[in-house]
Order: sequence, then structure tokens, then C-alpha cells
Amino acid sequence: MPDGPLIVQSDKTLLLEVDHDQADACRRAIAPFAELERAPEHVHTYRLTPLGLWNARAAGHDAEQVVDTLLQYSRYPVPHALLVDVAETMSRYGRLQLVQDPVHGLVLHALDPAVLAEVTRSKRTAGLLGARLDETDVVVHPSERGHLKQVLVKLGWPAEDLAGYVDGEAHEIALLEDGWALRPYQKQAVDGFFHGGSGVVVLPCGAGKTLVGAGAMARSSTTTLILVTNTVSARQWRDELVKRTSLTEDEIGEYSGTRKEVRPVTIATYQVLTTKRKGVYTHLELLDARDWGLIVYDEVHLLPAPIFRMTADLQARRRLGLTATLVREDGREDEVFSLIGPKRFDAPWKDIESQGYIAPAECVEVRLTLPDHERMAYATSEPEDRYRLAATASGKNRVVDSLVARHAGEQTLVIGQYLDQLHELAEHLGADLITGETTVRERQRLFDAFRTGEITTLVVSKVANFSIDLPEASVAIQVSGSFGSRQEEAQRLGRIMRPKADGKTAHFYTVVARDTVDQEFAAHRQRFLAEQGYAYTIVDAEDLGVAR
Amino acid sequence: MATFTGYLRARSDDELVALLVRRPDLATPHPATLASLAARATSRSSLDRALTWVDALVLQVLESVVVLTSTVGPPTTAQVQAAVGAAPDDAPRVARAVQDAVALALLWPDDDGTLHVTPGVTDALGASVAGLAPPGTGDDDAPGDPLADLVDAPPGATSVLDALTWGPAVGLVPPPGTAAADTVTWLVGHGLLTRADERHVLLPRRVALALRAGRTHRAPALAPAFADAPVRDAGVVAAESARAAEQTVRLVRQLLTRWEQSPPGVLRAGGLGARDLRRTAQALDVDDTHAAWLVETAATAGLLADDGEESPSFVPTLEADVWAAQDVAPRWATLARAWLTSARTPWLVGERDDRGTRRAALDPELTRPWVPRLRRAVLDVLASAPRGAALTADDVHEALRWRSPRSVPPLSAIEAVLVEAGRLGVVGAGALASAGRALVADEDAGEALAADLPAPVDEILLQGDLTGVVPGRPSPDLEDLLELAADVESRGGAVTVRFTADSVLRALDAGTTADDLLTRLGAAARGRVPQPLEYLVRDVARRHGRLRAGAASSYVRADDPALLAGLADDPRLASLRPRLLAPTVLVADASPAELLEALRARGLAPVAEDARGAVVHAVAPERRVRARPRRSAPVHERPLPQRAASVVATLRRGDPPVSAPVTAVRATGPAGAPVDAGGAPAPAAGRRGGASSALPAPLTRGAGRGTPEPGDALVVLREAAQARTAVWVEIVGPDGRADRRLVRPLKVEGGRLRALDPRREAELTVAVHRIADVTHATD
Repeated sequence: MPDGPLIVQSDKTLLLEVDHDQADACRRAIAPFAELERAPEHVHTYRLTPLGLWNARAAGHDAEQVVDTLLQYSRYPVPHALLVDVAETMSRYGRLQLVQDPVHGLVLHALDPAVLAEVTRSKRTAGLLGARLDETDVVVHPSERGHLKQVLVKLGWPAEDLAGYVDGEAHEIALLEDGWALRPYQKQAVDGFFHGGSGVVVLPCGAGKTLVGAGAMARSSTTTLILVTNTVSARQWRDELVKRTSLTEDEIGEYSGTRKEVRPVTIATYQVLTTKRKGVYTHLELLDARDWGLIVYDEVHLLPAPIFRMTADLQARRRLGLTATLVREDGREDEVFSLIGPKRFDAPWKDIESQGYIAPAECVEVRLTLPDHERMAYATSEPEDRYRLAATASGKNRVVDSLVARHAGEQTLVIGQYLDQLHELAEHLGADLITGETTVRERQRLFDAFRTGEITTLVVSKVANFSIDLPEASVAIQVSGSFGSRQEEAQRLGRIMRPKADGKTAHFYTVVARDTVDQEFAAHRQRFLAEQGYAYTIVDAEDLGVAR
Repeated sequence: MATFTGYLRARSDDELVALLVRRPDLATPHPATLASLAARATSRSSLDRALTWVDALVLQVLESVVVLTSTVGPPTTAQVQAAVGAAPDDAPRVARAVQDAVALALLWPDDDGTLHVTPGVTDALGASVAGLAPPGTGDDDAPGDPLADLVDAPPGATSVLDALTWGPAVGLVPPPGTAAADTVTWLVGHGLLTRADERHVLLPRRVALALRAGRTHRAPALAPAFADAPVRDAGVVAAESARAAEQTVRLVRQLLTRWEQSPPGVLRAGGLGARDLRRTAQALDVDDTHAAWLVETAATAGLLADDGEESPSFVPTLEADVWAAQDVAPRWATLARAWLTSARTPWLVGERDDRGTRRAALDPELTRPWVPRLRRAVLDVLASAPRGAALTADDVHEALRWRSPRSVPPLSAIEAVLVEAGRLGVVGAGALASAGRALVADEDAGEALAADLPAPVDEILLQGDLTGVVPGRPSPDLEDLLELAADVESRGGAVTVRFTADSVLRALDAGTTADDLLTRLGAAARGRVPQPLEYLVRDVARRHGRLRAGAASSYVRADDPALLAGLADDPRLASLRPRLLAPTVLVADASPAELLEALRARGLAPVAEDARGAVVHAVAPERRVRARPRRSAPVHERPLPQRAASVVATLRRGDPPVSAPVTAVRATGPAGAPVDAGGAPAPAAGRRGGASSALPAPLTRGAGRGTPEPGDALVVLREAAQARTAVWVEIVGPDGRADRRLVRPLKVEGGRLRALDPRREAELTVAVHRIADVTHATD
């Protein structure tokens, strides 16, 4: 159409003009196959990637639909080569299938013998494939199911895994929807996952990923292993499951550094699983401790490499990945695709925000001019010390002061990276401090006090980045971070995005030392926020009334 | 009977002009007489040249006429149509091919409409015509039906013959002892096959023709129709063509800008170094082959040239400035026209030559005279396909194989030309774009492209993440602004850019101020300039210029500010332009030696200091040379009709009136001496005595003795060989004495005449240069 909302570039980016009448319809149409790369105010950029197109194939879309969608919404003629490439890429998915053969067990079946020939001849599949049965079938050792899928994605011939799953040990789990109910998008996510078998659900922080997990467990009604990032998160999962489902405390075990319980539903931390003693993973038996019917991976984008390796051996069990972003700073997106599974559900932040399920947020970067003696110290320091010097500039305390004062009475989190700085800030503000050294009991106490409004300001280290639920925090001030990690920025923003009782806008401040690497890293992180569509402004510390 | 010379002589001036236009080699050098024109038109080299560029159907028609002439005598067009197996729908095409052959003087029609093969064509076609065995295989003149014996043939005989019927006429003998071998033996025994050697058998002409039932070909060789080629939407073709054209113009401009700032050197052999090419490719963000093509195209268009300095570099030409000031469409048209007629082969860059060295871009040796013809031929094929049809290199190859079966360009060259056409935007999405169509038709290609270029957009959507999107093709002003202040992230239907500290700094370096930049951005933006962008511009402007750099030739430093202050104001030092940079540092625009001397002259006692730290900025001068005039491609040289006309006029002056019937021409000598048309020629005796009037015209015309041009003798010999008539030849012996003999020429080839002397019943072969004179023997 000549006036469509979409512009298709030959470098495979799709530009969607959001103010266009058909922008919504177009967004829905392209979401299954295009990855949203950035979503600033006027034009959203999507990208066509092989993984995205294969995700779409896995979800039952074919190349013709994709091409039709592009042609339907494109404002200008779509580059022909791109259409050819889309069709070519999509046709590669599923030419190989992993199927269960009644006689030979797990078999790699090819719809196209030439592809099988190419794959079997590759060095990478050496040792993964067994006897060749005929022109189109080759035996796969069941333990290599995951590795093979990884390799096939790398070879560009992703296999469709039709080999099914073990049922696992049945265990009755039901949702207790008393006075609440799964939100429509959460239901869709559960359906999407279960229909696809295994895969990843992408939801923004604060959108209720835990409930999607609970919903999937109820649907599966089997024993479940839940892998989470840390102990606090594990406790939160347990509390939530007790509250929202028919599970009782006794049915849920915690498998962490401190406790080693194996129960029908077991929550384990990544850390305990990846603990090695004398070069051996000591807690691997947990994975086989029961006949798990479902494995849930929280925060898939943080999944450590050893867990990938273990997951490769768990291909016969249903796997649900939960995450806010498929972007991995280490670029292992393809392993998530091949080992956990394709993306099964995805809803952009802005959508859920506009539905009122997460709070709107305003992001502000405060630029602080360093005093001359600090600038000199910075200019003459070793490169490896520079970030720390800039991030812990003394002037930041005054900026935090003024920001806390500006939002007096609101629940405020001050987040930082360096313990010295946090100690100093906590003292300066007269606020409590939570770091990795704080005991779990103390953490729980402080979080509870923060939740009830007993205390309004809390200084936290990066332990607070993930999976702690601070329902009423509406202001976050970050003074330092880990070298411009975009993912950290997303997580920190997530801290303040739970919907507020009064529907207020949340505020997210980043305090940055001007003309230093701090500013460069901040630029990296802020780009992420702006790309996510958050209004972003930059102010000078002087404008906040902070003296130099 | 009529002859080819006679036929030519009876042509009107317009027809002769048309012939010279179709066969330009006949006009260069100018032939003096019609007879010599005929000689040249029947010479092997000219015929080969003409046959090289005729299509498969014309060749087929020629073969058909040759074969039919030998069996049933000179055929009519209708007979040819039937012989090649043309269906009623195809008949007009066969007739067209016949006309084509006549227009090229490869066939000539008699008054009664029968077609004759021009002398020499049969030889030029080669021994195996229409897949038949050469004449003389088997008993060609045996009477009766050659297939009569087939009734008693053993089983399998028919299939053996079927396999050979439509050629090639050579078959492999099956191993002895098999049934097939027996069959072949039987066929040989009954004259249906002949043995060529131990292992091969031939199907005799007579048998083959009988099996073909009067036809010469199984089916007419028709042009490929491309019915299966995918057809692209006109909008897609236009968009992709415009996009490619715009990109090429932009890349060439970037190339020129880059080479203006840092011109690459010229290799000793005259090309561009591989490292310079790689660097250019990286700067333009294209691969090496693409960069080589851009460089070659720019050079072909006269935008780049060797500056001819002592250590030469490639620099933009003066013409490049004119070019750069134009709009996209005319700039593109310049490139496209230059590309079409260029004899360069950029696709060979990077490959190794015979000596194993890599071929460099702009290497003078990369010129091939056939390339312009190939480019045009490829575009002609695309233009002849249905509109929007996307042809592959194989399709084009097939079409060219039909168009000139005797000169098929290699597939790799066709592929390369198609890639070039795609880069240039002559082709969009694999189909010829309207700009390309205009280019082939020698119309205004720039205008055609302008029509396909999307309307320029003046607006940019600026966003909080410091990106901007122009939802279309940016207008020139906007393009300049973006080039100045932003980095382009992607191009296509739209342009996306990102503003960074570096890109803003670039704009400030170019002399823009923050306010100026923000005003321009604000004017182009839909809505306000986002706060982060505004902040970025102001922040960069704040830092811009905090460090200052300048040029000075020498410096003086001292611990005593008062001493330096005095020097700065000293009128005796004014010519050195001394100035204070700091209370203790003074710089001057003189060499350290001069400065020292001046200071000493003032009675001071300076000491020289190591010169490190003195900044000398060498600003590269802007260099330009005038582009060398491009050598126009020789292959394209066709005689203008005027030139051809003047040639014809010359021919007429030396020739008798056109209207005279052929026989009369022969009967009237130029000197006006009456000759008995029916009578026998005068004997040789006395001919040397100047009795030229006794000899039949035209061969003695204008000359007391001998044929005026050796070529004339050749044409008479060829005509006689074809018509199997006798001629009088005067052969000069080794002793210089002329001997006159009546012979029947068999073949003129390789500078020798093979002829039969009917009186002595002997064959003789004589070098053509020994033949002083040839005369038709009229019986």
C-alpha cells in the first residue's frame, strides 16, 4: 500500500511509524517474526533475523504470511532480495525434524535428503549422530538431543523438535483465583507456551512473570523444578506460589546454599547448581532427583553457561524460560533458542504499560560537573580506575540528597555498585543499606519495612537488581552501575515499575559525572531506555540547585 | 544467367547505402568500383564478419538455401519456409530472416524471386551444413529412392537412421558381434550408411535428405520467448532501480570526496594498488569488487584521472566538480552512458593474469574491445523481453546464443554485466527499469530515472534515543544536513541516522554553530527537537574548541616574560611575525635559523633548541587535472548514412548506369566498343597489344590489359565456381609470360584457385596472385 506505516529497509530493518493509523495492526502483524530492536517515540525499529524468522516458523507462521504482511503494510516497494531471503531462511527451519521412532528411538528425520547429507558430513555433528537408517533418517543418541539442536542452529538448519516430552511425575497443582485472576496476556503466555511444548515467554519486569510460571505449573500439574537467580528470589517464588496456587509450604522445597530440600516443587538457585568441588558439579543429581515434568528458568537472559550445558541433557522435559529481554550481553541468544526453545510469547513494555499493568516511568539523567581537583585526579588516573573514580565522585551525595528531598515521602531506592560509596551514602542519608553481606533475614526485615512504608529510603547494592519485589518503590536513583550494562538498566527500571496504587508516574534518576567514562557508560544504558520508549531528559546538577 | 555482381549493380543507391551501413567493413577503405565492392562482399573475412552477427534463424535460412540449391535448385522464400519446418505462425519470422540475409547480401534474389547464396557463403558456413554429411559422402547422384531398400531392413535399422537423420550425421560403430553391429553392416551394405573410418559411420547426404522428407531442418530456430521468466511488479522495479541509482551516485560522490582529500598513487603499471582499493572499499562500506567497479565507472565517466605528476596520483577531474553540482538524475545519466560504452572489464579486478599477478583496478590492460557490444547486447536482450521480466544470466546467455551463434559471449561476462547493471540501477529486481530502457534506446535516461525517483522528503523524525528517521528520500538540503551532523545507520526506502558526539563535532568543525545546527534541525524536524539531542549539541559545543591548535615555524621561550613582551612588539622583528602564546612562549613565522639570526642581530644570546613540538600543518592543495578525452569504442563505429552515401557516389562514378540490364552491361565496354554478347571471346593473342575492346566488359574496363583490381578477378572466379561455369583466365608464369586458359573454377580459398581445365581434363591449382585477368566464357 502506498501509505502504509512500515518502511522495509534492505538491511532487514523494519521501520514502523507509530503515529500512523495502522501502526497497531501492523505491529501485531509483524511481532511474530520481527524482533523489536528499539521503540523510541516516533519510529520503532524491528529487525528480521534468522532466529526471529525461525521463531515465527516454530509458531506456525509460514514465509508467505511474512511476505504478505510486509507487502501489505509497506509504504514503499519491498526490496526483492529481502523477500527472497526471508523465504529462503524460513524454509530452512523444519527440514530436519527430531522424531521418536517406535523401533530406533530418537531419530533425526530429514524432509530433504540433501540437507541430511550436508549435516552428517559436517565436522560439528561428529559423535552426535548414530547409525544412518536410510536416506532420510539417522539415529540420535538421546543424550545428545540438546547438543545436536545447538549444532544444527549453528549450521543454519534448525531442527523442529517433535520428539515430545516425558510426562513426568504427576502432581496436582491448581491456581487459587480468589479475588484475582490471570491477566489476559498472562493467559495467552501460558497457552502459547503449552501449545509449543517448550520455549521462552518474554514479558517486561513487573508484568507478572511469576504468575505465568504458576499458570504453566498448574496446566502441567507435574513435579516442577524452578531455577532462579538467587536465594531472595527463591523465597519470593515460594511465597507467591503458596499464595496463588494450591501448593502448601510442605510441597515446595528450597535447594540453595543453605538448604537442600527436594520436594514435588523444588526451587534451586543457579549458583548452587554451578558450584564445583574438585572440578565436579556437586549438585547435578538434583536434576535427576525426581522425574520432573516441567523445568522453569527464571531470568533466562542471565542463564550461566554451565546451566546451558546441563540443559542440553534435559531435552526430554518441558522447559519454560521467563525473561524481560532476549538480548544477552554475551550474545548466546541462539543457545536459548536451541536449548530452552523458541520464543512463545512476547508483549512489549509500552503495551502492558498502556494497559495499566505497569507504571509509566520518567527517566532523568543528572550530569554533575566534577570539581577541579577531582577532574585532575581523574585525568591522571590509570584507565582501569577511571570508572570507579568517576562513579564514586563525592558530589553525587549532594545530588542524591537533593533528589531524595525533592521526592520526600515517596518510596525511594538508591542503587549503586561500589560498597564504599553505598556505605557513605547510607550514612549521609541516614538510610538502611542492603548489600550482598546483609543476611537474608535482615534483608527480608528491611524489605518488609520498606513495603509497609515504615522506612521510605533504602540504599541497595546490585543484589537488588534481580527478582526482589518492592511493590511501592516509585523513585530509583542510581549512582553507579556495572559498565553500562543495558540489561542491568532494564532490571533496575523494573524495580519501580509495579503499578502504583495512585497511578503515579515512577521516576528513574541516573547521576553521572560529566566528561568522564561514567557519562559514556550512561549513554550506553540510556540509549536502551530511550529505545524502550521512555521519555528521557538530561539535566545539569546545577539546575537541581546543587552547588558545585 | 544473373550474377551477384550484376545483382549488386542493379541495386539502388539507397539499397547500397543500407548495405554499407549493415556491413561497415565493406566501406573501409573505400572500394573504387562496384566490382571491387562485390569482391569484398564475397571475401571470406567479410563474410565471416557478417555471419558472426546474424542470428540462428538467419544461419538456418542460409543453410537451408544452400542445401535446397544443391538438391532442387535455387529455392523461393516459400520453399525455405517449408524446408525449415515453419508453422504458419512462424512463417513471417522465416521471411524476416530471409530479408535480413538479403539485406546483408548473404543471399540475393533473382528476378523470378528465387534465392541464391552469395558466392563464398557456402564455404564460410563450413563443411557440415544443417547437420548433413559433407557433399561427396556416398553416391550423391545415384538415381532412385535411396530408402527403397529399407523395406527389407533388419530390426533396429530405422532407429539407427532416426538417430542420425537430423544430424550430426556421424555415428559410432557398435562393438562387433552385436545385433546392432550387424544392422549397421547391413545399412552400409545397402548404401544407407558409409564408413568414415574404423569406428565411425556417416549418414550420406542423399539418404539424410530422403529421411528428412524434403525438409532441411526439424524446426525453425526461433528466438527464446522467456515465457517462464518471473515478472516483477513495475513499482518494485522502479523502486529498486532508483535506489541502486541513487546509491551509486552517492558512492561515486563519496569516492571523489575521499580521493580529493587523500589521492591514491598510480602503480608503475598504471593501476590502483590493492591496498588503496581495499581502503577505499572500507571507507565506502562496500566490498572490493564493488569498489573496483565504482572506481572504474567514475574513471570511465571522466571524473577521475591520473594527474600526470612525477609521482602520479588519481585525483578528481575538473569535470567532477561540474558533475557533483548536478542533480541525482543527470549525474546518474553521465555515469550510465559512460558505463554502457566503456570497454573496461572491472569484474576482472583481483583476478590473476597470465603472469600470475593480480589485476589492478584502473589497469590500462583491463580494456576489451568487445565489452561495449556485450553490454549493449545484454541490455538489448532485456529490452526485448516482456516488461518486468527478470532474466537470469542463463536466460540472457541463451538469447545471445540465438542472436549470434557464431560468437557467444562467456556466461561469466554476462553475469558480471548483469551485476553491474543492477548496481547502476539500469536493472531493478532483475528486470530492465525504465531508465535502463531509455539508455538502450539512446533516449534521455536521466529523465526516465528522475521519473522513478521517489519524491524527496524534507522532514525528519527526531527521537529521544538520538536517532532520526527520514521517511523517504531526503531532499538535497536535508541530505547535506545529515551528512554534516549525523551518521547514517541504514538506507533504503527511508534513511535512519544517529547523532553522536563525534558527528555533532564534525558539524561544528565544519563551521556550524550549535544554534545554527539546532535551528536547521528544528526546521526539518516533525515536532520539537528532543531534549536529549538538544542537550547533546549544546554539550558538544561547550567542549568544542577548548583546545586550540595552530601553525608556527619557530618558537622562543624564556623565563623572563618582560624580555619576551619586548620582542613581540619589536618593529625590527615584525617581518618574522612574532607573537606571544603565553607570557613565556613566543612563536614566529620564520625558520628557527632566521629567528636565531634576528635575535642575535638584536644583541641577544639565544641558543637553538631541539625542534620537537613545533607544529607544521601541511595542507594538501586541491588538485585537478582535465579528464583525457575518452577513446570511443571502435566497435561502435558505423558509417553514417552520409558517409556511406558518399562511398556509393564514388562507386557510381566508376560504373555504368544502373538501369542497364546485366547482359547489356556485360556487352558494353566502357570504351564504347561493341561486343558480341553471344559470341566467343577474342583469343588471347594480341590482347597484350591493347586489343582490350575484344574482351568482354567489365573486367577490362578502364585498363589496357588485365583486370583493374585483383578483387574483381576473385569475385568472377567465385561466381563461376558457384554457377559451375567456365572462365578465361590469364595466368602469369614464373618466367613472366602470360598463358591464357579456359577453366571451370571449383573453389577459391586461401589465396588459391582450384579449377578444372575441361580441354585437358585436368585439375589445376594456381595462386590467385598469378592470375592477371579473368573473363567470363560465354557459350
